Amino acid sequence: MSIVKQDWLVRNELDPNRLACPNPKADVNQDNIQNLGVFPLLYQEGVQNVLLSWFQFLGWAFNGVLNAILIFFFCSRAMEHPAFRKGGEVAEFEILGTVMYTCIVWVVNCQIALSTNYFTLKNHCYIWGSIISWYIFLLAYGAMNPIISTTAYKVFIEACAPAPSYWLLTLFVVITSLIPYFTYRSIQLWFFPMYHQMVQWISKDGQSDDPQYCQMVRQRLLRPTTVGYTAIWRQHPNAF
Amino acid sequence: MSSRGAASSSGGPQLGTSDSSKRISKKPKYSRFTQQELPACKPILTPGWVIATFIAVGIVFIPIGLASLFASQRVVEIVHRYDEECVPPIFSGDQLAFIQSSITNKTCTKNFTVPKQMKGPVYVYYQLDNFYQNHRRYVKSRSDKQLRSKAGELDISTCKPEATTGNNSPIVPCGLIAWSLFNDTYGFSVKNKVLNVSKKNIAWKSDQEHKFGSDVYPKNFQSGGLIGGGKLNASIPLSEQEDLIVWMRTAALPTFRKLYGKIETDLEANDEITVVIQNNYNTYSFGGRKRLVLSTTSWIGGKNDFLGIAYLTVGGFCIFLAIGFLLLYVIKPRPLGDPAFLSWNRNPSGIMN
Repeated sequence: MSIVKQDWLVRNELDPNRLACPNPKADVNQDNIQNLGVFPLLYQEGVQNVLLSWFQFLGWAFNGVLNAILIFFFCSRAMEHPAFRKGGEVAEFEILGTVMYTCIVWVVNCQIALSTNYFTLKNHCYIWGSIISWYIFLLAYGAMNPIISTTAYKVFIEACAPAPSYWLLTLFVVITSLIPYFTYRSIQLWFFPMYHQMVQWISKDGQSDDPQYCQMVRQRLLRPTTVGYTAIWRQHPNAF
Repeated sequence: MSSRGAASSSGGPQLGTSDSSKRISKKPKYSRFTQQELPACKPILTPGWVIATFIAVGIVFIPIGLASLFASQRVVEIVHRYDEECVPPIFSGDQLAFIQSSITNKTCTKNFTVPKQMKGPVYVYYQLDNFYQNHRRYVKSRSDKQLRSKAGELDISTCKPEATTGNNSPIVPCGLIAWSLFNDTYGFSVKNKVLNVSKKNIAWKSDQEHKFGSDVYPKNFQSGGLIGGGKLNASIPLSEQEDLIVWMRTAALPTFRKLYGKIETDLEANDEITVVIQNNYNTYSFGGRKRLVLSTTSWIGGKNDFLGIAYLTVGGFCIFLAIGFLLLYVIKPRPLGDPAFLSWNRNPSGIMN
């Protein structure tokens, strides 16, 4: 970051005339903007690349592999040899494929929902809409001529939908696949929160109206760095 | 809040009118989306929510698990492996010769007892092990167009090597899947009374009505040198050949069952069932195994404890996690968002070290 930008940050931080806190009459939807005004160090999260580290990336990759293993083996094992419906029918590869793909669609969308911090209407539409559109696709594609739909012909409406084990299996696999990530996120948020999560928590609790508390959070979260204005501050504490 | 064309307010000298009309502000067009002001909910995973979620999952899963397990335990299933026993002792050293010969007697009689009352309909399955119906080339070796209607009879390109006979006339139905049709038969009797095995409606309705045509008749089937399985009655259209239809739905895993028929009557406990098996199908050349299965069903299907046990395990685990989190919350309370607990802030002298 250039010196000029740092200067702006420092002035916002330490200028006693600007030290305060959000206008209480402001729209609560302006949280992010307010938070940036009060906690400009939020910008540093991007600069210091804490959000896209190797650890995060490998963690997501591992989570993906774990989900894939859970989905595949649970679905295969649950629909193995015996009948999966009251009518005595056995699950062939079309049905197994449909069940697995349903689980995948659910797990992926619910993962996105779990990792979203900021749910707008569009988020809801796209996430839940994806899931609904998968079922619509199954119905529509399955209704097409078997020459086009081949193995997917009526697989949902005739075979899967009337089977309680299909729905129970979907529910089970989805919840089980999400438990590891959910647990990790709870522990991370509770014991090792990142700066922006803390800020979100504070503003949710209403403590962002307390100027002393805001100042304390900001001060305590300054980390020693070799670049940036904390380094300058340490070098020349009297310069500001 | 239009901003296009508005003069910038941050100062700068006033230019002549000819220039000011061309001056376009670079301020982006305002929209709630670009300024991130959309109404939104911002859920935070507070300890209360986490514990509540785990408890809810546990409360929902455990009863479902119990119900599934109970239903699965109520299913009565008889599984009987017969491929080893149904080879006469003379041929036990050369089972392949026995099965491939056309003059050996393939009839085999077995007895077993019904352990508990089996309420009809009792489903009869044959189970094959180590039979890879999911092999890629095997799965592709069929012609759906040919199966569907007489007009598609010559559409046999995907069926090689079981596509045409020696003099190039097409085989109907073509392909390896049809060629390897399972052809063991079972006849049941209890107390010398023959049990009727219904062979109707054992295939999926959509297959019978839409995928296998009623104007398609078997032609040149199993007429080559290598016999792979059963023969078909050439006077019955494919839509009524339910054994073929069931067989053509390829299984996903190397161990699978397929529906053979249904016994509509009840079987009482301790009944002695005599089954006459025609041991025709060759599984000996690749180490496959054959089993005969009789099973009732419940609302969840056949005897599969997996779903019930899995639900119970995950439900119990979630309750355990909930208790763990609750204990953590009680023993190590931590005011939300208090930065004092962050590891690098434990040192009271802060950053000025």
